[in-house]
Amino acid sequence: MGMSDEEIQAAMIEKATKSPKAQLYIKDFYKCDPDTKPRMIKNLANDLVKKGELMFWSSGSTTMYARPDRIKNEEGDSGVN
Amino acid sequence: MAKHETPLLDELESGPWPSFVTDIKRQAEKNPDCWDILGLLELSFKERITHWKHGGIVGVFGYGGGIVGRYCDVPKQFPGVEHFHTVRVNQPASKYYSTENLRALMALWDKHGSGMTNMHGSTGDIILLGCRTEALEPFFWDLTHELGQDLGGSGSNLRTPANCLGQSRCEWSCYDTEELCHHLTMHYQDEIHRPAFPYKFKFKFSGCSNDCVAAIARSDFAVIGTWRDDIRIDQVAVKEYVAGKHPANGGSYIGGDWDAFSIKKEVLDLCPTECMWMEGDELKIDNAECTRCMHCINVMPRALRPGAHGGASICIGAKAPILDGAQFATLIIPFMEVSAENEFENVIDVIENVWDWWMEVGKNRERIGETMQRVGLPTFIKVMGLDPIPQHIKEPRSNPYVFWEEEEVPGGFERCVDDFRKRHAA
Repeated sequence: MGMSDEEIQAAMIEKATKSPKAQLYIKDFYKCDPDTKPRMIKNLANDLVKKGELMFWSSGSTTMYARPDRIKNEEGDSGVN
Repeated sequence: MAKHETPLLDELESGPWPSFVTDIKRQAEKNPDCWDILGLLELSFKERITHWKHGGIVGVFGYGGGIVGRYCDVPKQFPGVEHFHTVRVNQPASKYYSTENLRALMALWDKHGSGMTNMHGSTGDIILLGCRTEALEPFFWDLTHELGQDLGGSGSNLRTPANCLGQSRCEWSCYDTEELCHHLTMHYQDEIHRPAFPYKFKFKFSGCSNDCVAAIARSDFAVIGTWRDDIRIDQVAVKEYVAGKHPANGGSYIGGDWDAFSIKKEVLDLCPTECMWMEGDELKIDNAECTRCMHCINVMPRALRPGAHGGASICIGAKAPILDGAQFATLIIPFMEVSAENEFENVIDVIENVWDWWMEVGKNRERIGETMQRVGLPTFIKVMGLDPIPQHIKEPRSNPYVFWEEEEVPGGFERCVDDFRKRHAA
């Protein structure tokens, strides 16, 4: 019996909160449940963005995910927002 | 009235060519924020370092692409470019616009943004440069509700698909590029608007191998028109070309210092597979050897046409600055029927097969061409469920080591050593 969507999303939030890196690639979330297909992980990550649990950060060529409090602080510290 | 002294930039206006500095100054008369673009660039020229920061968290609600965050690191000095985000707007197929639409788009951009544009970006979409964060949502609302247009792709999304003019204007197009581009744009809205991949992924659709959108060089998934049957020949027109009655290449060399048209020099000798010859005054083609390069058709468009059985070749994995330099896409499927009747089901099947594999195996920030190069073409062909064919091979291998899978060898790798020794003494 694999993890439910809610369990995977909880693991993703935990990873985004505790990871030394504030911004994570989508592939970093694959490890939250190696049995779940990457496309499903992508859908779950984008659903977390919709719920406000994660935020996108984009360089223009690559998109990463982060917890809003961690990423906003980072941008704020650099004098942008 | 200039807001900043820009002696270094002013030099860029002195040459014989059009200057972006002049363009920005013209726009700055209308929108004073644009003076700060020049001021910031002048500072970068002086200090030899960029003052643009890298990326950001900006976007519009529900979308994870189409907006690229751009900030400068000296906002107090240049407040006009404190926020200068880029907006990518999905272009219409083949970039057909009405002047009414273009005027409305520019009016919208003057209202919400800097008025600076880049028509078009290298992916094909409309690039609007310079928007403050608080203006993004109002701009997006007006774009979608008043103009009925949408944002394109950026970041790790499917990028805005692009196509050549196709059958709308070109008699050589072997399939309907506009229909395919539009269909896949609608089919993959989620992938265009929200990140899905380890890195960017681009589709491009060309109707023939003249490849007017540079699909083979610029896209991860290139659909390039080709034909399955024979080149159609009008022998009367061939004779007329030989007699000099029609200009070669549709007249593009008229006025140049060229000799009289020579079919041998300009067509037969330049055929890459040498599959053409003359028998008397008749042109003959060994179509089985033709690589569909289009050269002969380009030179004698009245005499030669692509075959009637059109479709497309699928090439995968182009990228410009790849590990070993620029890389063209690799031919994976030489011919595929491309039809709206089955909603392009066979093309979609290949795309999803490629994506499922790349999403799993591709590394962060690795284009699919790099993944293919890393694992090797034999592995890629196998995971795609394809049989290797001669078209996959550039030349016969010079490396004598051939690796076989056990199931490819009759009897497998199991063997009786005693039996072997009866025939080959140690």
